[in-house]
Amino acid sequence: MSGKEVYLDSCKTSRMAPEVLHAMMPYLTDKYWYPGSFTSIGTEIAEVIEQAQETVAHSMNAKSEEITFTSGGTDANNIAIQGILQANKEKGKHFICSTVSHPSVLAIFQGMEKRGFEGTYISANKDGYLNLDELEAAIRPDTILAAFTQVNHILGTIQNSKAIRNILDQADHKVYLFMDSCEAYTKIPLDVEELGIDSLSISVHKFNGPKGMGILYVKKGTEIVPTQFGITRLYKLKPGAINVPGIVGTAKAVEMAFTDFDKTIERYRELQKLLYDEIMKRISDAVLNGPPLGERSPAHLNVTFRYIEGEAIMMMLDFDNIHVETGSACSSQNLQPNYILMNTGRTHEESHGSVRFTLDRFVTKEDILKTVDALEKTAKELRRRSPLGKKEQ
Amino acid sequence: MAIKYSELVIKHFKNPHNVGIIDNPDASATEGSPACGDQLTVYLKVNSETQIIEDIKFQSYGCASNIATASIITDLAMGRNIEAAKQITWKQAADELGGLPPIKMHCSVLAVDALRSAIKNWEHKHLGKEIDDSLSKKNIVKELQKVIYGKVGVDIVSLKLLKYIGIDDKKNVLLEIAIKKDDPFIDDVKNEINERMEKFPKIASVKISLV
Repeated sequence: MSGKEVYLDSCKTSRMAPEVLHAMMPYLTDKYWYPGSFTSIGTEIAEVIEQAQETVAHSMNAKSEEITFTSGGTDANNIAIQGILQANKEKGKHFICSTVSHPSVLAIFQGMEKRGFEGTYISANKDGYLNLDELEAAIRPDTILAAFTQVNHILGTIQNSKAIRNILDQADHKVYLFMDSCEAYTKIPLDVEELGIDSLSISVHKFNGPKGMGILYVKKGTEIVPTQFGITRLYKLKPGAINVPGIVGTAKAVEMAFTDFDKTIERYRELQKLLYDEIMKRISDAVLNGPPLGERSPAHLNVTFRYIEGEAIMMMLDFDNIHVETGSACSSQNLQPNYILMNTGRTHEESHGSVRFTLDRFVTKEDILKTVDALEKTAKELRRRSPLGKKEQ
Repeated sequence: MAIKYSELVIKHFKNPHNVGIIDNPDASATEGSPACGDQLTVYLKVNSETQIIEDIKFQSYGCASNIATASIITDLAMGRNIEAAKQITWKQAADELGGLPPIKMHCSVLAVDALRSAIKNWEHKHLGKEIDDSLSKKNIVKELQKVIYGKVGVDIVSLKLLKYIGIDDKKNVLLEIAIKKDDPFIDDVKNEINERMEKFPKIASVKISLV
């Protein structure tokens, strides 16, 4: 590998900010204590955790007591989805999800179907927007939960949470709305009150925070039962050891992401536009996947390079120390093309040639230009080798 | 365990040998399709007297191992007589590259298949040999020997996952395969089988039954 690393894959994970590590360090070394009452060391940690909850709650217009720190996005998804379904099973056994949800959420629902719950999976249009007519038709008297991905991790589509809430409110009983906000949080404004979200999950390592940390929001009054049992020092939904350094690091990452938030978003939009414009200007037969730039997540771009295959593109870029993700079957674990691209009407070939670029606070203009230089070179070379398409001379 | 490519795969992917088209080739063949994620075309120049492959080139739409296996089979076939070139196996091609991850073994199968098809086409054109695409159990087994079960990188015939082949009077084919319906590779195996069965022009339908 050569040159400075360019990392355009924050949707998978991201580099922890040095400030986050700095904030965590005392709690990994000298301040290794647990929260408690009355003692100096216990109360110091209790106050640090309270402050962290306050910071996170404020970022999404929630109340501090509605926040639970978990050991990741998947953990938060499981606690919320399983907990709400189990708590409300006397009222019904039906949930609504979608065919373009994140695999970690789909896996939970598949598990719950084996435990007697029934699901309806609504489809999405070519840009990844949920078909809301299907949502309306899917609601049954025994529907207790609807769960969707707020920003689609493959297509960058931002779902209209308000419209979803309005449809759910037309039911003559309460249907809870859960949002997987892992790709949305810190990339678009998030106000749980305004959007009518009852519960959501966040993964901290996707926005330059520590790995192994998640955030669970559960609106006060939501009927939910614990899915894990043990000693509940802090949270009734999340027993067990308290990751104090992780909580402190999470709060720091959140604080950094929401300081000058509008400016950060504007920066993402500029970088996204630069990447898109340069690709379209310099590389022929490139097709955008997902909604147009103004509509989609500002930190997300997905492009299919026709006549060539995504894993090969990804590896060529890797040789230049540039890191991206592909929806190609060749890089999947079971040789199947990405189901979200297929479920939104892409052909196999379009899915195979897709490359996803996701931004975070460390991505620079130079990174984008270096990436497009490498992409232009790669596309030219792989197309020279490809039997498909017309040959560039 | 980390799934990674050998140094030789990377070397051939970075700088593949024999990429391109032969103008007016003596024979060529294309295997795979964009829908399946990989496609390979092999072009041959064969000395009609010595039957030696004097030039071979390829074009590939596919991943790194697809390109690397295409590159290595052209190296292996170059300068060989067609009988010897026909003996090149996908295991040999993979070994020459220092091994392939099990999930990538199908790339080697595709590369060897394209080479053999190009040779068959040459034999058909220049020696008048018939191409046997008749719908027989023997030919079906031959095709299914190219369907790789990605979890272990071995074909479904060698793994004894193919339990039964039935062909009725109307040319409908029933295949019984011993794979669980929730196996992560089930869709891949089914797609591969269907793709392979397209080789038989006379086939009416294929039914895959999981046993």
